[in-house]
Amino acid sequence: MGKSAELLPGTLDMLILKAVSLKPLHGYGVLLRISQISGKALDIPQGSLYPALYRLEHQGLIAAEWGESENKRKAKYYSLTAAGRRRLREETEGWNRLATAIASALNTTPDEV
Amino acid sequence: MMSQFRSWWSAAARRTRFEDEMRAEMEFHLQARVDDLMASGVAPAAARRQARMEFGTADAIKDDCRQSRGLRFLDTTVQDVRFAWRMMRKTPGFTAAAIISLALGIGANTAIFTLVEAVMLRTMPIAEPDRLFYLAHGTGDNPGTSSNYGLFEQYAALTDVFDVTAYNTNGFKVTTPDGIENVDGIWVSGNFHAVAGVPMALGRGFAAERDRDIGGSMIAVISDHYWARRYNRAPDVLGQTLVLNGHTVTIVGVTAPEFTGLQPGTRPDITLPLSVRVLDEKDFLDMRDTWTSMPILGRVKPGVSEAQATAAADVALKQYMAREENQWIVTRNPDAFAAARLLPASRGSGSLRQRYATPLTVLMALVGLILLIAATNVANLLLVRGEARSKEVAIRLCVGGGRSRLIRQFLTESVLLAVCGALLGFVLAQWGTQAIMAFFESLEQPIFLDVSPNLRVLAFTTAIALIAALLFGLTPALKSTRLELSPALKEGGLQFGWTRRRWTAGYALVVTQVALGVVVIAVAGLLARSLHNLKTLNAGFNGEHVLVFTLDSYGTTLNDERRTALYADLLGRLRTLPGAVRVAASRSVPIHTSGNARLLDLPGPADRTLDRSAFTNIVTPGYFDAFGIRLLRGRDINEFDTSTSPRVAVISTAMARLYFGDRDPLGQTFGYQSEKDIRLTVVGVVEDTHQMNLRERAPAIVYTPMTQEKAQFWMNFAIRTAQEPAALSSAAVAAARAASKDVVIRYVRTMDQQVNASLMRERLLATFSGGFAALALILAAVGLYGVMSYNVTRRSREIGIRMALGARRGNVLIQVLRQTVVVSVIGIAIGVTAVLMTTKYMTTLLFGLSERDPATLMAVSVVLLITASVAGFFPARRAATIDPVRAIKTE
Repeated sequence: MGKSAELLPGTLDMLILKAVSLKPLHGYGVLLRISQISGKALDIPQGSLYPALYRLEHQGLIAAEWGESENKRKAKYYSLTAAGRRRLREETEGWNRLATAIASALNTTPDEV
Repeated sequence: MMSQFRSWWSAAARRTRFEDEMRAEMEFHLQARVDDLMASGVAPAAARRQARMEFGTADAIKDDCRQSRGLRFLDTTVQDVRFAWRMMRKTPGFTAAAIISLALGIGANTAIFTLVEAVMLRTMPIAEPDRLFYLAHGTGDNPGTSSNYGLFEQYAALTDVFDVTAYNTNGFKVTTPDGIENVDGIWVSGNFHAVAGVPMALGRGFAAERDRDIGGSMIAVISDHYWARRYNRAPDVLGQTLVLNGHTVTIVGVTAPEFTGLQPGTRPDITLPLSVRVLDEKDFLDMRDTWTSMPILGRVKPGVSEAQATAAADVALKQYMAREENQWIVTRNPDAFAAARLLPASRGSGSLRQRYATPLTVLMALVGLILLIAATNVANLLLVRGEARSKEVAIRLCVGGGRSRLIRQFLTESVLLAVCGALLGFVLAQWGTQAIMAFFESLEQPIFLDVSPNLRVLAFTTAIALIAALLFGLTPALKSTRLELSPALKEGGLQFGWTRRRWTAGYALVVTQVALGVVVIAVAGLLARSLHNLKTLNAGFNGEHVLVFTLDSYGTTLNDERRTALYADLLGRLRTLPGAVRVAASRSVPIHTSGNARLLDLPGPADRTLDRSAFTNIVTPGYFDAFGIRLLRGRDINEFDTSTSPRVAVISTAMARLYFGDRDPLGQTFGYQSEKDIRLTVVGVVEDTHQMNLRERAPAIVYTPMTQEKAQFWMNFAIRTAQEPAALSSAAVAAARAASKDVVIRYVRTMDQQVNASLMRERLLATFSGGFAALALILAAVGLYGVMSYNVTRRSREIGIRMALGARRGNVLIQVLRQTVVVSVIGIAIGVTAVLMTTKYMTTLLFGLSERDPATLMAVSVVLLITASVAGFFPARRAATIDPVRAIKTE
C-alpha cells in the first residue's frame, strides 16, 4: 500500500457514486470496488465510508435496500438513483475539466510562458 | 429538500430500527473483512483484530452517520430538554416562580389579544372586502357615518364610481307561538347582500329590491344563528313566513355561518328591506332634516381608485350639505361634514370598534409591559441560577465543552419554561376572556363576540412565548457562560461589594422592572381616578331608589289614542305597587343613549353662528320628582297641562342661559324649525342633567308634557321606591303585562345599573388595569426581593468580616436597604418620565384629571417606594443578623 495516494477532499463521494453506478453494492463491497477500479492506488479511510454513504442516501443520490450477500448474509445494498446519476455525470465532467486544466498547467515548459 | 426531510423523518421516527440497521450493517462489514482475511490465511483472532483496527472506532463512526442523517441536532435537543427538565424538577421553587410569572404575563396578553383580534383584526367574510368602504364624513379622528336617505340617494347617483347600499341596526318584534320576541336585526337598502358581498348558506340575498317599492318586497333574510335557533337548520325554511312588527314576510335566504354582520359585537338575526320600514314610517325616505345612524357602504367599481372614489364622494357630499335644509347641522358641527372619507369596511365598523380601539390598545400596552416585567423576573432568576451553576459551567468549559453548546442548553431551558408558561397562560387566558365577556354581556345591547381560541390567537401566544424566552433567556445564557475560569473554580473566591460586572445586569433588570411597574400602576391609577370622578360627578339627578323599564309598542297595531290610554293605565297600575313613591313616564331618561335633538325657532334675530338645537324630552307629571331633578323656577308640568290647554315647556338651566341670556326665561316662547306653527311657553326651569352620558356636558333640554305631544312608540317608566328598587322589578313587569299583551317590556333596570352600564368601558378599563397594576406590583416586588436576597447571600462573607471588624448591625441593615432604595428611585424616575411621555395617547379615556396628574404620579411613586422597601427589608434584616463567625467559616 506504500504507493497509495491520499484522497483529495470531496472526491470520496464521487468515487462512491461511481462504484455503485456499476452495480448495487454493500458498504464493504464499495470499499473493495473502489480499491479495484483505482488499481489499489487509492486508500479509502474506512472511518469516513459509512458517514459518506449515509450522507449520500440522505441527499437522495443513492438508495439502500436490504438483500443477501454472496455468503448468504443479510447486507444493505446501495444503488444509484436518477439524481445520483445526474450528480455523478456533473462531478465527472467537473473533475475532468479540473484535471485537464491542472495537468496542462503542470506540463507548462519555460518557453511556453 | 422534501426527500431529505423524509429521510430525516424516517430515521427520527423509527429510531430503534435506524440504530439496529446501522449496527447490523457495520457488523456485516467487519465479518466480511474477517472472512476475506481468513481466506488469505490470517489466523481468526488476528483477522478479527486487524479488521477492527482498519475499521476504526465504531461509536465515532456511528455518530458521524447519525450526523449525516441530521439526527445530531435532534439528539442534542432531546438531551438538552431532558437536562432542562431535570434542572427544573430539582428546583421546584424556582420553576414554579418562573412558570407562574410567565403564565400570568402570557395569559394576560393572550386574553387581551383575543379581544383585539375579535374586535379589530378580523376580516369580514365578504366577497372582495378590499373594495368595500364606508362612505363616512368628517375631518377628525372619529369620522361619522350618520346619514339620511337623501344623502344615500346623492351617493347612489354616482353609478360610475361605486354601487351603494346602506343599513340601519334595529330590533324586530317577531310573533312566535310562545308570544312576542325581540330579535336583533337590520333594515337594509334593497341591494344590500349583493353590494356588500354577503356569503349565503341558503337561498338568495337582496339584490334588486327597490326601496321605494313600498310593500312590494315582503321578504326577509335570516342569519345562520337564527336558522339554527328557531328552525333547527331545517332546509325547508325558505318560503316560510315570519310575522314581525305586524307584517308578514317570506324568508328567501339564510346567510352563511361565518357572517355575523358587518359590525363586530352585533349579531343581526333578521334582515329586512327598507321598503318594509316605510309601511310604518311613511316619511322615512324623505326626512331630509333628520339624521340617523344609517351607515352607507360603497363598493368601488373595478378600475376606480380609492382616491378617485373619495374625490367623487366629496363632491356629492358638499353638494348635498349645501342645501338649505342642512344648514343647521353644518352650522352645528362644521368639521363633521367638511369632507367625505372612505373607511375600509373589510374589518367591519361600528361603535364597538370606535369605542374600544383606544381602551384595547391601552390594555394591550399594559399587558405587554406586564410580560416584560415577568420576563425580567425570570431573567433575574436565571441569572441567579447561572451564578449558582458557575462551577459546573466552568468545569464544562475547561474540559472543552463548547460555549455555543452551553448557550444552546441554557436557551433550551428558557424555551421549556416559556412553553410551560404559555400552556398555563393559555388556560388562564380563557378564564380572563370570559371575565371580560361577562362585562359585555351585562349590557342593554349585549355584545356578541366569538372569542373561542383560533389559530391567530394560538400563533400570537406561541410567538410571545418564544420572544419572551429569548428576552429572558439570552442575557443570562451569555452572562453565565462567559466567565473567567480560575476564580470560579477556586472555592468561594472572596467577592467584595457590588462591583462584579455580572451583577450590574441584575440591577439593570430591577430598575427596568420598577420603571415598567410605575407605568402600569400610573395608567391604572389614572383610569381608576377617572372612573371615580365620573361616579361622583353631580349629574343633576338622583338615581338612587329608581327603577326604570322601557315599553316598546313599535310595530304593534295600537293607534295613538290607545297608546296614550295604555300609558295612563300603566302609570295608574304602577302607582298602586307597594313601595312606589313616585311614578312617571318619559321618552328619555338621564344617561341613556335614546334621545332626540331638535333645532329651535327662537325669538330674536337669527344668529347663524349659534347652535340653536336642544335635546327634547317628553314627560308626564312627576318626572322631575321621580329622578330628583330640582325645580329652580316656575312650576312643574302638571295634570292641568292637557291636549287642549296652551302648550308649555319646562327648560333646563343650560337652555335658559344659552338662549335667553339675561332675560327672564319664564313666559318666553319658542318653537321648532321643522314645525313653525307650534309655540311653547316656558313655565319652569329645572336643574341641568347629563343626558346621553356622564362625560358630555349637560345639554340644553326642553321638557314638554306627554299629553301635548304625539303618542310615542317607546316610553320609559320610572318608579321611585322606598325600598331597594330591584325588589320591585318583577311586580312592575307584571303590571305592564297586565296592562297590555301586545307590547314588549325590555331593559328593566335600576338607575344605578344603567349608570354603571354607561360606564362599562371605564369600569372595564379600571378593573382590568387595576388587576394588571396589582400584578405588576407583585412581580416587581418579587423581582426586587430575589435580587436583594441573592446579593446578601453572595456577600454574607464580606458582611461577616465587616461585622467582625466592628460594623454595627444597624449600619449593615441601612446599607443593604439603601441599595434597594437607590435602585427603586432610579426605576421610579425612569418610570415617571415614561408616563409623562406616553399618557397623552390616552387622554380621551380620562375624565376630570390631567394625563400627567401630579397627585397620581406622587401616589404611585410612594406606593412603589414602600413596596420596594418592604421587599428589600427582609434581605436587609437577614444581612444584619448574619453570624460573623459562621459566615467567615463557611464558603
